[in-house]
Amino acid sequence: MISNVISLLIAIPLLGAVISFYAGTKAKFVALIASLIPLALSLQMYMEFDKTSKIMQFVESYNWVPSLGVKYTVGIDGIGFPLVLLSTIVSVLVIIYSWGETKKPNQYFALLLLNEVGVLGVFTSLDFFLFYIFWEIVLIPMFFLIGSWGGPRKDYAAVKFFIYTHVASLVMLLAIFALYFTYQMPDGSRTFDMLTLLAATADKTIFPTSMLNIIFAGLLLGFLVKMPAFPFHTWLPDAHVEAPTAGSVVLAALLLKMGGYGLFRIILPMLPHVDKAFVTIIAIIAVISIVYGAFMALAQKDIKKLVAYSSVSHMGFVTLGAVAFTWMSVTGAMFQQFSHGIITCVLFMSAGTIQHVVGTRVIADLGGLADRMPKFAVIMMAGFMASLGLPGMSGFVAEFMVLTGSFATLPVYTMIVVFLSIVTTAAYHLWALQKAMFGPILKKYMNVHEPHAYELFSMAMIIVLSLIFGLQPGLITDIMGTAATQVMEPVMTLTQMGVI
Amino acid sequence: MIPLELYILLASTMFTIGLYGLFTQKNGVKLMMCIELLLNSANINLVAFSAYQPNVNGQVFALFSIALAAAEAGVGFAILIALYRLYGTIDLDNINAMRW
Amino acid sequence: MYADYAYLIVALPVLAFLLCLFVGWHLPRGGGFLTVLATFAGLILSLGIFSEIYPDKIIHQSMPWFANFNVGILIDPLALVMLLMVTFVVTLIHIYANGYMNGDPGAARYFAEAALFTASMLGLIFADNLLQLFIFWELVGLCSYLLIGFWYRKPSAAAAAKKAFLTTRVGDVLFLAGIILLYNNLANLNLALKPGEYLLQFPVIYANLAQIAPDQLTLIALGLLGGAVGKSGQFPLHVWLPDAMEGPTTVSAMIHAATMVTAGVYLVARMFPLFYAAPHGLTAVAAVGAFTALFAATMGLTSFDIKRVLAFSTVSQLGFMMAGLGVGAAVGTFAVGVSIFHLIGHSFFKALLFLCAGSVIHAVNTNDMREMGGVGKYMKWTMYTMLIGSLSLAGFPLFTGFFSKDEIIVIAYEYGTLINFLPYIFLVLAAVLTAIYTFRMWFSVFTGKERSDYGKHESPWVMLGPLVILAVFALGFGYVAQEDFYSYLDSNFKHYDLDFVELGVIGGHALEEHVAPAAEGEPVAAKGEHEAAAGEGEAGGEEGPGEPWYIQILPIIVAIGGILTAMLFYWDKVKKFDPSQVTGDKDPIRKLLLKGYYQHEIMTGWFAETVVYGTALICNTIDIKLVDGWLNWLSALVLGFAQHVRKVQTGIVQNYVTALVLGVVVLVVVITLAKEVGLV
Repeated sequence: MISNVISLLIAIPLLGAVISFYAGTKAKFVALIASLIPLALSLQMYMEFDKTSKIMQFVESYNWVPSLGVKYTVGIDGIGFPLVLLSTIVSVLVIIYSWGETKKPNQYFALLLLNEVGVLGVFTSLDFFLFYIFWEIVLIPMFFLIGSWGGPRKDYAAVKFFIYTHVASLVMLLAIFALYFTYQMPDGSRTFDMLTLLAATADKTIFPTSMLNIIFAGLLLGFLVKMPAFPFHTWLPDAHVEAPTAGSVVLAALLLKMGGYGLFRIILPMLPHVDKAFVTIIAIIAVISIVYGAFMALAQKDIKKLVAYSSVSHMGFVTLGAVAFTWMSVTGAMFQQFSHGIITCVLFMSAGTIQHVVGTRVIADLGGLADRMPKFAVIMMAGFMASLGLPGMSGFVAEFMVLTGSFATLPVYTMIVVFLSIVTTAAYHLWALQKAMFGPILKKYMNVHEPHAYELFSMAMIIVLSLIFGLQPGLITDIMGTAATQVMEPVMTLTQMGVI
Repeated sequence: MIPLELYILLASTMFTIGLYGLFTQKNGVKLMMCIELLLNSANINLVAFSAYQPNVNGQVFALFSIALAAAEAGVGFAILIALYRLYGTIDLDNINAMRW
Repeated sequence: MYADYAYLIVALPVLAFLLCLFVGWHLPRGGGFLTVLATFAGLILSLGIFSEIYPDKIIHQSMPWFANFNVGILIDPLALVMLLMVTFVVTLIHIYANGYMNGDPGAARYFAEAALFTASMLGLIFADNLLQLFIFWELVGLCSYLLIGFWYRKPSAAAAAKKAFLTTRVGDVLFLAGIILLYNNLANLNLALKPGEYLLQFPVIYANLAQIAPDQLTLIALGLLGGAVGKSGQFPLHVWLPDAMEGPTTVSAMIHAATMVTAGVYLVARMFPLFYAAPHGLTAVAAVGAFTALFAATMGLTSFDIKRVLAFSTVSQLGFMMAGLGVGAAVGTFAVGVSIFHLIGHSFFKALLFLCAGSVIHAVNTNDMREMGGVGKYMKWTMYTMLIGSLSLAGFPLFTGFFSKDEIIVIAYEYGTLINFLPYIFLVLAAVLTAIYTFRMWFSVFTGKERSDYGKHESPWVMLGPLVILAVFALGFGYVAQEDFYSYLDSNFKHYDLDFVELGVIGGHALEEHVAPAAEGEPVAAKGEHEAAAGEGEAGGEEGPGEPWYIQILPIIVAIGGILTAMLFYWDKVKKFDPSQVTGDKDPIRKLLLKGYYQHEIMTGWFAETVVYGTALICNTIDIKLVDGWLNWLSALVLGFAQHVRKVQTGIVQNYVTALVLGVVVLVVVITLAKEVGLV
């Protein structure tokens, strides 16, 4: 067992980012190594991880700014660990996918690694101060990835992405400060410690409901914008469309998960102590996100925008599962985070590959590509099938668990709406697939060819992962199930909370 | 002992002269000189109050202030020289590249 | 010992799938022999299992999967007969496909997908819980999608594949809702499960049905029925099945006639206790089935595409099976035997018919019957095997279809005497039409003059062999197997802890039993326990004296009458009428039928393209104008404000100094005033 494994996990990509910045054209090798080591570490952690334990594991804690109560505390449990695993896996695959990047490769790979640092930090830090720093660190590499490597409207998209999410983060920061300044430790000092503060929110004498409502709303806004949930989603399609492929992948697979992680880590423990109306509000937002995202995807002409809206729809399942607050739905929502993180990679990679092989992403201009790129067609179809929730792949398990769990608590008519969206989801996936891949090959595409082997490899790996976790979800749902129990244990069901 | 009021009178006279200069002059060097007047009038006050209320805090602050003024003058004149090289004048009305 | 290797029935085709997918194009004929071998091994294993457990044992194996779910194998009589049928028919079709797909550049892909289909279908059959069943249910749907779109370069094939997937998806969503509802209802019971028991396992479901509220049962039943309607092409979700004929003919025979489309019937049979217990559950099944049987038969009359005729026929026959299950409200579990018997028999003769059609198409190179005619001169084997299939489908006495279909009509009559005669009337009319359209097809293809210049040769033996074997079964299976089959299937639910009398009370059937004249002609033991228990079962003869004699022979009259009618219209030797003169081109009914009741216009044109896509476009407008609009409006507001405020930066030092001094003055005044008032 390696001591300080989490710090190592964060430090190695950071070091790699610095080295690859100065490594010139060799940057990709540096980046690959610097992302493979964390992958190996996280797999090692998976072996050592105690799946039944409800306390934090691999905890490290050092004083940082003692006078302010700021500590460097990191640790993981069943909420964070699957996402750590996801981050390390996705980072490696994204770097492999970007192997052919020729525009300022040193900066490009350094930024990708910096992104990994940020998300790993968010998923592991247990101190609000540290958490917020990592939360904001993530914005910077993504801003530059979009702004420097992006498409025609990259400036608009980068600024919109940055300001939108940053404003939400600031609201969240205010809420964090409110927590910090309200709660005093028994010895009179103050603390940013996440678990202590969250546990304290249960105490009505310290946090009266009226005050906690405001804090809760601030935190919630920060996470919902990041997710993103309707009506805070409009930064996402713009950012995705303009971002380079690797940027889109990281954005959808990892950055969105930060919002979901916040829901489980911070929102759910507070949920029983705030106004009951919040449950209804969040549930409505979730349902609208699911359905609205699906319909929006159906209306898109750009395949990348279609995929972006499918993310809105799929992340709605996370919100729904979280707020339905049954063991099954919360576990399912956690699994949906993981599963969507995997599957969305292959969708964005497909869109990116079509873009650079064919030269356009407009669905109406495509046609018959399967004729010229059969291997790619198989992989893309597998990815789309995974995304529309085909059993045997991870997406189905997640959605099934969320729906089963939610059905127990949420009103029937909301479920009808959600079920409608499942058909719509299938419709836009199949429509795009048919239009782009099938039918007679268009004359102008007679010369297109299979994409590079490294692109196919990273996509195929994702399909394999999706199959593994679809056929054997227990590999990771065991961990999540424990976490779900832990999140819900001090509390109760929605019925006991008096919501329904 | 000279009454405190006289020091204050001196300081405020200097301050007013400096302010008048700031309002009326266009030449960069003259403006710098006016700012020096303002600073020094403040210094006089500091020292005077310090002497009448026996502790040395005011004197110390005056020293800080003088050092700051020196630095300010150094940077300020350097900027003015650079401006002169660029525009051939130090009349501040003509140097307005960064106005809205 | 065979039971220990039951999982191989699924695992071997999966292996064949992987081999064909990755190394298939290096193998002769795309590795088709692998798929054949894997399926044949499944047949051998199934036979082995049959020899072990017939007549009174079942196999149940289970292991945990994730959360509260398991995977398992449940082979009871119902699953066993399905396993035997599927492995047998599919093996034959794979052999046939080795000839049919020979030379197609995508042969490896075909056999990979076919192997995956085989695995999924078999997995569906012996699943021991609803979730696993649903998973394989979706996988067969995927394979159907892939195989319909096998010739993906054809836009019509790609569109048909999409339509099939989406239409069945509507049903699947209802099915999923049913499963979830059932799961939550069972979970709310807080059952004390023994180790190895899981909520969605069939034995657990059966045992606890009686504790679920009746209205919930009805909702669940309707959800499951929705799934069955989608998969088995019942009205109104039948629209995909005729279009699905875009796939290779072997696919039509395998997926869209013999196996996958029967999954819906299998589901209803598997969940029969639930439908029985749910008030109106079986009524809905009977209504859907009987209506579809007639509705599809009318469309089969007018189509000129030989495969579409068979597709409409499949829809219609699946309607018969559904109706057969639905009338179980009157005859209890006996209906399961009758319906599944028709399912098995139908698989034989419909697979036969499709393969014969494929043989014809292989030679003639068109699907259009107007361009065929006189094919029988060149394809004797195909002609006679297809005749056997057609006679069987039409219900000609002593053929398989006669025993299976007519028994459904007979129990529908019993249902009529007890509850409602509508299903009976619909089914009889459908049977007439069945005979007519079947022989319309046969006569148009094989007799008369050659209406176009087509290839004149018989198909190779690798294709004819399966035809002959299937023809034997289409001929003799019904006569040989009927009695044992009914009693074996009737024993299916005796293996589980459930009481049909209790369920019947929940479902409201007990009352009907009492008012009914106890005229059922089946032996008590074969009739389902509830009747015996209710003391209503009376011993009767084999086909029973309960039904009047004219009911007994009506199906025979119907079949022969239909065939004769078709003869008079379409056999050139005895032709008396010209169909085009009986109904003119302007005839509204003819036009309605030719247009397929305008289903395409309604479902695709109006619903999918206008309503759904229109909603999407409206959402898009809202998103751009409103949801994103307010954001852009906000940023425009801030920018506009800044445009004005920036004017403050005049670039004139004196202005800044003035502002500074004024600011100080204001500060001083404010602070002084504040002190005066006492604020500070």
